Amino acid sequence: MGEIAIATEKLTRTFGALKAVDGIDLQVQAGHFFGFLGPNGAGKSTTIKMLTGLLAPTSGRMELLGLDFQKHSVEVKRQIGVVPEGMGLFERLTGAEYLRFVGRMYGLDRATTEKRAEELLEFMQLADREKTLIADYSHGMQKKLALAAAVIHGPRILFLDEPFEGVDALAAGALKALLGRMTERGVTIFLTSHVLEIVERLCSHVAIIHQGRLVAQGSLEELRAGVAGTEGETKTLEQIFLSIVGQSGVEQARLEELTWLT
Amino acid sequence: MADVVQLPGVLAQLRLIAGLRWNLLKNGLQRKNNRWDLVGIISAGVFAGLLVVGLCFAFFAGATAFLTVRRANWMGLLFWAIFLWWQVFPIFVAGFGANFEFKTLLRFPLSRRTFYLLGLGYGFADFAAVAAVCWVVAMILGAARARPEVLPVMVVVCVLFVLMNVTLERLIGSWLEKILAKRKTRELFIGLFVLCVVSLNFLNPVLQRYGNAARPKFLEYLHYLAWLPGSLAGNAVAGSVRGDMRAILLGAAGLVVWLGATSGFLWRRFAAQYSGEEISESAAPAPTKRKNNGATASAEAVRARSSNEEWLPMVPVTVAAVALKEFRYLTRNGMAFLTLLLPPIMVVFFTMQFGRGSALRGHSLKPELFFPGIMAYLILILITPAYNAFAFEGKGIQTYFMAPLRFQDVLLGKNLFLAVLIAFELSLSLALLVWRVGWPSPSMFAATISAGAFAVLGQLTIANWSSLSFPKKMEIGKMKGQRNSGVAVWTAFGVQIVLGGVCTLIILAGRWMSDPWLPAIMFAVLTAAAVGGYVASLGALSRLAEEKKDLLMETLCR
Repeated sequence: MGEIAIATEKLTRTFGALKAVDGIDLQVQAGHFFGFLGPNGAGKSTTIKMLTGLLAPTSGRMELLGLDFQKHSVEVKRQIGVVPEGMGLFERLTGAEYLRFVGRMYGLDRATTEKRAEELLEFMQLADREKTLIADYSHGMQKKLALAAAVIHGPRILFLDEPFEGVDALAAGALKALLGRMTERGVTIFLTSHVLEIVERLCSHVAIIHQGRLVAQGSLEELRAGVAGTEGETKTLEQIFLSIVGQSGVEQARLEELTWLT
Repeated sequence: MADVVQLPGVLAQLRLIAGLRWNLLKNGLQRKNNRWDLVGIISAGVFAGLLVVGLCFAFFAGATAFLTVRRANWMGLLFWAIFLWWQVFPIFVAGFGANFEFKTLLRFPLSRRTFYLLGLGYGFADFAAVAAVCWVVAMILGAARARPEVLPVMVVVCVLFVLMNVTLERLIGSWLEKILAKRKTRELFIGLFVLCVVSLNFLNPVLQRYGNAARPKFLEYLHYLAWLPGSLAGNAVAGSVRGDMRAILLGAAGLVVWLGATSGFLWRRFAAQYSGEEISESAAPAPTKRKNNGATASAEAVRARSSNEEWLPMVPVTVAAVALKEFRYLTRNGMAFLTLLLPPIMVVFFTMQFGRGSALRGHSLKPELFFPGIMAYLILILITPAYNAFAFEGKGIQTYFMAPLRFQDVLLGKNLFLAVLIAFELSLSLALLVWRVGWPSPSMFAATISAGAFAVLGQLTIANWSSLSFPKKMEIGKMKGQRNSGVAVWTAFGVQIVLGGVCTLIILAGRWMSDPWLPAIMFAVLTAAAVGGYVASLGALSRLAEEKKDLLMETLCR
């Protein structure tokens, strides 16, 4: 058993009467590319917000890299990078200014910040937009910039909330290669996505959250083994997902109600 | 094959659009969960109702009076008032907001003619149009009461006048929509607009000085107004009182020409929209050119120009980063930038109005009063944004909570930048004041400076608390709805009244005790206390930020 990068214990978050996250126990090993899946409104973004300090849990514990988040929040934040939901960009800065700002906020010295900002902008193909404000970037460009900002300080854990949404196929390929190399270097990547093919291709381990509760967790093989199927058949992640969250066949039944459309 | 059997007629579509506007308004009100906002909306609604009804009586009385006492050619004044209201008011209230984009209706199967008519119909659903139509009806009723024989001409003229106004308003509105759709032109436009509003302050002093000389020239140009819609409508009605058919026909024909011209231009604008004119905020990104030598060349360029020198060496890195970010935001916020022009402009204005050489002559204000007065006024203008310091952060607020820092660093960075900015503005304004009205006594100068320091530092702690507790999102380049939360406004108001009272009492105490240096000493002591309070509050405010982060992100990331 390797080092545990992320561990939660009965992590809960309520909004009034709604339990968005209901006592989840999550374990992610260091160096894993971890996919966190769930239907809309299942509690994925709420979980990621709690794990990155953007939202306080109602109850429960979180440990990142062996440190209690509540007690050592500054030390933990120093070692994680985040692409949050909505990207969290300052839209009135240029891409370079934003990266320099983030680098300094993470405590990098000026020369290192400058150098990394330039290199990241080159890698993300944003370098020729020197004077363009982020407000004037396309959605895909903003996504790439948010990813660049998340890695500028060399984090040990990277949290990505829908990182490939709106990114073109060329850039997505480069980003996937970059993320793959980061995991080889021991960086843990915690990713949420609705595109199950991407998760299946990139992630070695997966957890599924449904109605605020963790309903499955393990390697893809472990999840496949846990789902009944025809002998010899290799289940896709989509099939596993539908089988676990209990939606299989529901869409077909709904379609049959819309007879005027089909 | 789609199941659509028959397209709805224009009237049915107009009804749908009216329903849409009503739902937008109703749902907009439902989102105003803040009690203060609701109070504001209700009071604005009552005020608007009173304005419309009250002015209905005024237009009725005006039309009756002018037609009864044989002042029929003054009817033009009433038409002019409505014309200016109809064309100018919508620019103030609607031009700067993110309103419903009319052209989004193009996704539905509409003919060009229907699109045009819907556009005109949409114009009648504005508050300005509804109010103006009410006043026109009041004028018709007034005319009918005073001189029933002019009623037919009055009705025809008013119908033409109303159609021309709604067409022109839609034309101006559609051009504004085009201008305001792009961020850069929108900010430039708003900047010019605010500058025009500010420069209105100088109207009185300029008229005092040059009014008499300019009067003959003004009267000379007044004749040309006869060709504009307000005068044309007035002349036609006046002609009908005199039985002058030529004046009636000329006035009505003039309105028809105006209506035809505006309709032609509006048809062209709507045709451009109908054929898919793209005026949206961000154009498709240009293809990115990757440099041949890639990262190596830029890394070398970076090495050539980067160094490890800090731009604020005495300040922690994170605080300096926040202060620098604040500076960059200021340079890109046309409105805030213009606010910085206000202090020196106001100094010039006040000294023109009340200083030496003003109309007050022997009663003009002395430097002893000018210095503390101007200082108080300028601090009032400059510190108000600090009560909602995160207004423009948007989704960027998340960065502060993701970064490994205590929130007090963010507050320190913002406050440091604001304090330096205020110090610069006040120095510039006081230098101008010295040039315009001369120096006050050394004791009053010292008292003014130390009172300024106390007023700024004394407010920062409370302003930080207000910013964390009552955040309100604002967007650069928009004017509609760009105000602090009601609680933040009242907090700022209360604090400024208390601080103003304390400062006045201290200055008066110096006079009563015949000790001119007493206020300066007392303000210095208070400033030291304010600094102590500020430093002591930072830890508590960091904890408050943690408690309030849900609220901050929910409000600002929306």
